[in-house]
Amino acid sequence: MMKKINIKIIATLMLLMGITFSCSDDFVNVESSAENSEAYFNTEEDYQNALVGAYDLLQTTYLNVLMGEIASDNTLSGGENATDVIGIQEVDNMTHTPLNAQLRNIWGWMFSGINRANFILEFQDKTDFTGKEAVLAQARFLRAYYYFELVKWFGDVPLIVDKRFQFGSQFSVDRTPKAAVFAQMELDLIYAAANLPYVQVEVGRVTKGAAQALLGKAYLYQDKFEEAAAVLDNLVANGPYDLVLDYNTIFEHAGENNIESVFEVQYTELEGAGFGCLQCSEGNVAVGFSGVRNYTGPDFTSGFSFNVPVQEVVDAFEDGDLRKEVAILDIQTWAADTGATFGAGYEDTGFFNRKYIPRIRGADAQGDRNLTNPNNYRAIRFADVLLMASEAHNRSLAANDSKALVYLNRVRERAFGNSDNNITATGSALTELIYKERRVELVGEGHRFFDLVRTGKAKEEIENNVDITTDGKTEVAKSFVVGKHEVFPIPSIEIQLTGNRWEQNYGY
Amino acid sequence: MGKHITLFLLVFMGFCASAQTINTTGIVKDAASGDVLPGVSIIIKGSTNGTQTDFDGLYTLSNLQPNAVLVFRYLGYKQKEVSAKNGVLDVTLEIEAQSLDEIVLIGYGSQRKKETTGAVSVVSSQTIEDLKPTRIEQALQGQVAGVNITSTSGAPGAASSIRIRGVSTNGDNQPLILVDGNRIEDLSVINPSDIESINILKDATAGIYGVLAANGVIIITTKSGRKNTDLKVVLNSYTGLQNTTREIPLLNATEYALLANEAHGANGEALPFTNIAALGQGTDWQDEVFQTASISNTDITISKGTEKSTYSFGASYLDQDGIVGGGKANFNRLTARFNFNTDLFKNLKFTSSSVYMNTNRKGLSENTLGSVLFNALNMPSNLTPRVGPANVQYTLAPNSGVGIEVINPLAQIEDSYNKAWVNKFSGSYGLNYSFLEHFSVESRIQFNEAKVTSKVYTPEVFYGNSKVFNNGDLEDDINNSGVFEGEQTYKDYTFDAFVKYEQNINDIHDIKLLLGTSVYRSQGINNVSLTGFGANGNSLSNVNVDEADSFQDNLELSNAPRQFFDDRLLSYFSRLQYNYKSKYLFSAVLRRDGSSNFGPENKFGFFPSGSLGWVASEETFLKDSDVINFLKFRASYGIIGNARIGSFGFVSTMSGEGVYVFDDALAFGSAEGTLANPQVRWEKQKPLDFGVDMKLFNKIDITADYFSKTTEDLLIRAEVSGILGVSAPGSGVPTINAGTILNEGLEFSIAYKERVSDDFKFAVSYNFTTLKNEVLKVNLNDDPLTVTGFGLGGQEFARMEVGLPIGYFYGYQTAGIFQTQAEVDAHASQTNANPGDLRFADLNGDGEITPEDRTNLGDPIPELTMGMNFSFDYKSFDFNMYAFASLGNDMVRNYERNLALTNRPAYFLDRWTGPGTSNTFPRVTTGATGNTLFSDFYVEDGSFVRLQNVQVGYSFNAINTTKLGVDKLRLYLSASNLFTLTKYKGYDPTASNGNPLGGGLDNGFYPTPKTFLLGLNVNF
Repeated sequence: MMKKINIKIIATLMLLMGITFSCSDDFVNVESSAENSEAYFNTEEDYQNALVGAYDLLQTTYLNVLMGEIASDNTLSGGENATDVIGIQEVDNMTHTPLNAQLRNIWGWMFSGINRANFILEFQDKTDFTGKEAVLAQARFLRAYYYFELVKWFGDVPLIVDKRFQFGSQFSVDRTPKAAVFAQMELDLIYAAANLPYVQVEVGRVTKGAAQALLGKAYLYQDKFEEAAAVLDNLVANGPYDLVLDYNTIFEHAGENNIESVFEVQYTELEGAGFGCLQCSEGNVAVGFSGVRNYTGPDFTSGFSFNVPVQEVVDAFEDGDLRKEVAILDIQTWAADTGATFGAGYEDTGFFNRKYIPRIRGADAQGDRNLTNPNNYRAIRFADVLLMASEAHNRSLAANDSKALVYLNRVRERAFGNSDNNITATGSALTELIYKERRVELVGEGHRFFDLVRTGKAKEEIENNVDITTDGKTEVAKSFVVGKHEVFPIPSIEIQLTGNRWEQNYGY
Repeated sequence: MGKHITLFLLVFMGFCASAQTINTTGIVKDAASGDVLPGVSIIIKGSTNGTQTDFDGLYTLSNLQPNAVLVFRYLGYKQKEVSAKNGVLDVTLEIEAQSLDEIVLIGYGSQRKKETTGAVSVVSSQTIEDLKPTRIEQALQGQVAGVNITSTSGAPGAASSIRIRGVSTNGDNQPLILVDGNRIEDLSVINPSDIESINILKDATAGIYGVLAANGVIIITTKSGRKNTDLKVVLNSYTGLQNTTREIPLLNATEYALLANEAHGANGEALPFTNIAALGQGTDWQDEVFQTASISNTDITISKGTEKSTYSFGASYLDQDGIVGGGKANFNRLTARFNFNTDLFKNLKFTSSSVYMNTNRKGLSENTLGSVLFNALNMPSNLTPRVGPANVQYTLAPNSGVGIEVINPLAQIEDSYNKAWVNKFSGSYGLNYSFLEHFSVESRIQFNEAKVTSKVYTPEVFYGNSKVFNNGDLEDDINNSGVFEGEQTYKDYTFDAFVKYEQNINDIHDIKLLLGTSVYRSQGINNVSLTGFGANGNSLSNVNVDEADSFQDNLELSNAPRQFFDDRLLSYFSRLQYNYKSKYLFSAVLRRDGSSNFGPENKFGFFPSGSLGWVASEETFLKDSDVINFLKFRASYGIIGNARIGSFGFVSTMSGEGVYVFDDALAFGSAEGTLANPQVRWEKQKPLDFGVDMKLFNKIDITADYFSKTTEDLLIRAEVSGILGVSAPGSGVPTINAGTILNEGLEFSIAYKERVSDDFKFAVSYNFTTLKNEVLKVNLNDDPLTVTGFGLGGQEFARMEVGLPIGYFYGYQTAGIFQTQAEVDAHASQTNANPGDLRFADLNGDGEITPEDRTNLGDPIPELTMGMNFSFDYKSFDFNMYAFASLGNDMVRNYERNLALTNRPAYFLDRWTGPGTSNTFPRVTTGATGNTLFSDFYVEDGSFVRLQNVQVGYSFNAINTTKLGVDKLRLYLSASNLFTLTKYKGYDPTASNGNPLGGGLDNGFYPTPKTFLLGLNVNF
């Protein structure tokens, strides 16, 4: 009897245990082990970490640099064959459409960067700490940098300031006119310049010089020459920058973040990457893409032979210009001299963009090596600052050609190693020479197309280019339609996903 | 001994008694195990006289007519009729495989098959033994109507996808699988010989499992032995060889060179091959890569039962090499299980099952660009596998013309070093207490704990210039080899407690009431993730992270939390079953579930379901029918759910990736992850079922069902505008509940058994399922979802769109080949079109071939699947055969790399070479054409019929075996996947990656092997 009762008790206890154990509905409320983003920014560390997150998207601008160069008359798309990355081939031939996948990447990646910067600024009043202005200044510079890219590529783009786009808001947002976007950029860069030092402890961070240079560039792109000249003069006079003596050291690993570097996008080969998430790569994807196909030999390693320079740009270098050997790799000559071997890709011209092709890699280089090249992108060099200042002074209403010539000739003296090739022209003749100088100084760095567009020379320069490749084929001349091709089409799916309310850029 | 003396006396007596009538006596035994059967009823046919066997299985009948026929009947066994004979007549009875008194498990309880109101199918352990699967899913294919199994790969240890009644969701279609109450996801760890039965719940009656039930429920029980049985030992062992079921005919070296030259010439390029005559046959890389691989399995089951307890112990060891890679793709599995059930006290029962499993799996790259088979198909056939004077070095793949992924597959196999091993313990323990005659309370705890360890060694290796798999530089002094070690723990528990009330009033009213609760928690924890740089060693066994030149601890670096998921489910359920005279059946279920995956606004849901049945054969007008022995109509409907929706969809967390570089070193920051949707909740399904079960002529079993199930609130990863920042590293689009799919069809199965004579009996069964799948809603505005991944550059090839099956193929429709330039000019403008190229149909008639001209090209979901098996026993021989067919499923061919110098399949010989030479196969050229755009040229009919298993066995004479102390000794030969009939040109039409969107894309699926086995069954 006792036994029976005991067992009944045990059984009932078992059941009760079961019920109490599971009684609380709270059992299924599980906190995510990763922090809730709406409850973030409680300490300085949170801001600093989020800031690193905002810097991250700078590394995706490899695509802007690669396609910007290919769109111009400097290089052909190249690659393995005519359908290797169709989006890039289209941009080369000026046959791109709103279905272009690479343009959609640029759109998405730049807006991702903007959202990450705005995330910090959305919570800028939440927690105080010393040095907060410097954090906000970097965030605002980054937002301006990403918007600059969007405006260059797409024209009018939705502007949002100091908060992220919330899910649902995309159906009521409009394209903001370019001028208003530039105006916000100017405010951001002025704030950044005022709150950052010229030299940062951590190499790679935004500096005062970077903010001033980007501001000057933004003014120049709006043809606000006087304002550009003012800020760039200030930068030249007060910044710690100078031209490096030996041009050949600028683009090597040892020359990273040197005295000529005003702003440099940082890369490393220490983290692996794959084609599944190119935006995740910590390496410079454009470098692998631009490398010599099937290369074995000294100094360099192989790549996918995109972005191949044409004879016309090689011929644009004057005799004695020391920059030519650094900027352009003439593979036939190089192979003859060193015994290197190489293959030929599509549209082979015999030339490669030597500034940004893969070098020999380190022991710790992670795979896929084609995607993890550590070459930093020298986004703004002091030489570029000088040329922009020169142009600003020359094209101002009250032109100051003597100042323009001082800046221009600094660049030329470094380029030739002597003052025998200095320029003395003035007026519109000088303007043309400045444009030519920009081309050879900055070849391969992704600026040419946008320089042509902003100076109204795109059609004439791009269309007079008939390129002959090493297999004897003549490339069909590109057709540049004025009023259309200055900007690229907004990806059609992006228009759909915001409620089909935007007008597409003209002609697309 | 005493028994035989009694027999003898009885016989003698009978003999002396009367010459006109006869006396029969004998012992009735179980045919398979030799156990005596007490309580067997023996009726003299045509009368109501008879007797029963006693505890020793002995029966006696006297004064029989000489021509009397005796009918032997026993619960759970097939009825047997034997002519009476004077003297001793021992009889053996066989277990009834599909008896109506069979018990089926219906979730937290069981029911007799004839009283079920739902669509439940059972696969018995006998069928599992016949099919000899290495994994359980293989035993389900073709056995159960409505269940479709596709293999993701034929590689040893590879998973299969189980789909019950169609593709219910664009997300995770995996059904709920319970093994002794334990939730299992990975079926590769189970020893098939441990299984007692597999019960599959297909309709709303699975609703007892509420939000876990929408994809169907599979309830598996393991063997636990029977009370009052002697020690029994069953030993099974087989060994055999595996080969590929198919090789794709490829171009030999001469044909390859001819076509390569032709392709280059067509584009005005220099011809790559000048001396074709010398090339001969060249290398068939598939032959080099496929090999005959061994497989063997041994398992032992020991069971015993006393009056109060049962014991069952099972152990097994499987070792299987791969047909690609041999030992480099080896899978082996060791299991040990102990089930112990006992009556602690009169009303208190204890049940337990404890299982230990250890699996080791080595793998090779498969089903992707650059996998071993992909490379075997694309490597130029003029290259020899090895080069050099000693023929030791592997030939390098060229870079130009074959792309950066195609490498020497033999080198790839040799240089692949990776291994994953799992140590898992599963336990299931319960107590059941019955009291007050009608009540019982049960409490069970079930848990799993598994440790998954992986190790990868990446040696320094050079496959050719620019190859994406290259690692390091063999020439320099820097050691670039690497080693990775990882370990994770997965653990979960399920705690069930429920009360039952069962009352039967005069056999008229039968009521069963169930009330219970269930708690589930599952966690995954990262323990170790180490990457070593500069490994020192040359194989997995001698390479270690702590012996490498340097290493990094990935878990410390990344700040990610160690626990990467913590899923919980809290449920309350109730069920009422009522039947009136076993004629009118009724069942209703209500369940409340809450899951940690649901958003705060929808944390808990209610899931009701109900079913009815009418056993028409119990009605007076059918009760005595000889034709219709059993006829039941049933219907069910309910609302059930799918909780497999991913975690934390409702909150935006800092789970994104924010990494930059400062001071030339990696700087780890933070960033937002996937965007949130606070309203996220389960997928809701409304399954309707009408079914009929019948037994005719006492020999034919028929079951038929019509089902229609609509699954709503499908989770869609909606494409959203890029301005929200969703393409950032680690970010993602939010999931919203915005889709609906309909699956409807017919299931039919019929089984017929006949005992022709004592020496010959046979059984045939056949089933088919028709399925129609249609998407009814996608996204908030019905914008289709697209999937990319075809060809180079990942073209779009499949969609989820309203009005069409999920994952249907979307591309250009071809309309023959342009034969002349005039035809090109006459047609709508098509980029890069030349004579010899595919002509795409201008479906919208606008004169231009644009992406708007794409259309429905087929889909990977079969419209009709059928299974058939046939078996017979003749004297000591037994034969059985299982076949399966699938009709209407399409596949997309995506294993041709189509570069200037890659090899091609032999059907390329039919290409267009001039006007009138072909209207179906385009020309070969290295120039740009539209021929590599996704079109119906790449979509093929994957319908097939496959002979899954054929087996012939011989059982040694019972008398001979008893001399050895053995109850049964059987030797058999078995062949699996012997023969497949299909038009599909790829390796295996049964393969699919299992994704509802994007399934059917064939990147070179590792084919299911053809296996020949020699085996032995011994019962002691």
